[in-house]
Amino acid sequence: MSYQITSAILGLCLATIILWLIRRDRLHSRHGFWWLVVALGVMVLGVFPTFIDKLAVFFGVSYPPTLLFILGMGMILIKVINMDLHQSNLERKIRSLAQRMAILEGEKQDEDL
Amino acid sequence: MKSSCESVIVLIPAKNEVQTVGKIIDEIKSKLSVTVVVIDDASTDDTIKIARTAGAIVLSLPFSLGAWGAIQTGLRYAAKHNFKIAITMDADGQHEADSIPILLNAIHQCDVVIGAYPQRGSLSRQVAWQLFRKLSGINLEDLTSGLRAYNSKAIKLLASKSATLLDYQDMGVLILLHSAGLQIVEVPTLMHPRSNGHSRIFNSWWAVSKYMLCTGILCLAHGKYGEKCRTK
Repeated sequence: MSYQITSAILGLCLATIILWLIRRDRLHSRHGFWWLVVALGVMVLGVFPTFIDKLAVFFGVSYPPTLLFILGMGMILIKVINMDLHQSNLERKIRSLAQRMAILEGEKQDEDL
Repeated sequence: MKSSCESVIVLIPAKNEVQTVGKIIDEIKSKLSVTVVVIDDASTDDTIKIARTAGAIVLSLPFSLGAWGAIQTGLRYAAKHNFKIAITMDADGQHEADSIPILLNAIHQCDVVIGAYPQRGSLSRQVAWQLFRKLSGINLEDLTSGLRAYNSKAIKLLASKSATLLDYQDMGVLILLHSAGLQIVEVPTLMHPRSNGHSRIFNSWWAVSKYMLCTGILCLAHGKYGEKCRTK
């Protein structure tokens, strides 16, 4: 079995799982787009692994796997920062919600007395 | 004689302060006719019951938001009900009701008054504060005092969204006030050693490191040096 078939199987499997998760509504649509792009990427790179070599030549990178790792890590970094931003936003909302709830309950208690 | 201050609200954040919170409310109520609000930061003891019996309005948080989260809840309440001046006090018996008139006297000339008692810090705290002063460019004696008075301008700012993600009442809040151009004045006040419990921040090495790191980052991001980068 050639390495191209192995990488194609891996890439297609990963893409299928991601697409299945999106279809099953397990991923919120705002994350869905990102993962759709990832699915497309692994599919293309899985079926045509030599693509990265051509890309490396184009960018003047002498050892193509480095380009793959740098691109991959860059994407992960962006994703993680994005997650933390989202998380901070949620934290702010949850705190405000808790405060508002405490205020409303307090006011109600005050009226009842 | 009780002095009447209708538009003044006293905010007391409390977490498991069953031994002291009632006494403080009684003391305030006997000396001044002000609205007293206790913000319960998810206490597991009878703090809520005691505060309510003592005649305070109790805002009870569904889960703990930390000292600042509780105070901001009170400030949002104050903003919603159009109070002109908000006083914050600790529930652990450090602050005296007698300090309130001192703060009220000073607030007419500025936006924020801090009841300062800078002698209380240990050497390590003094070193930490000195560092934060340098980093933030804020030259106040007592950076962490929980005894403060805010006027309506300061209440409005601190009740806003931009203050929600802060974790402590000290540097982050001061930086926010400072960069909004509000005037902060310190007045010397007397404070007692905590009659029960201990500092929520300076009680374990883990908490201290977390506090130092959070505050250090805040100072760097928003303080003097941050400003410099942003303007030019």
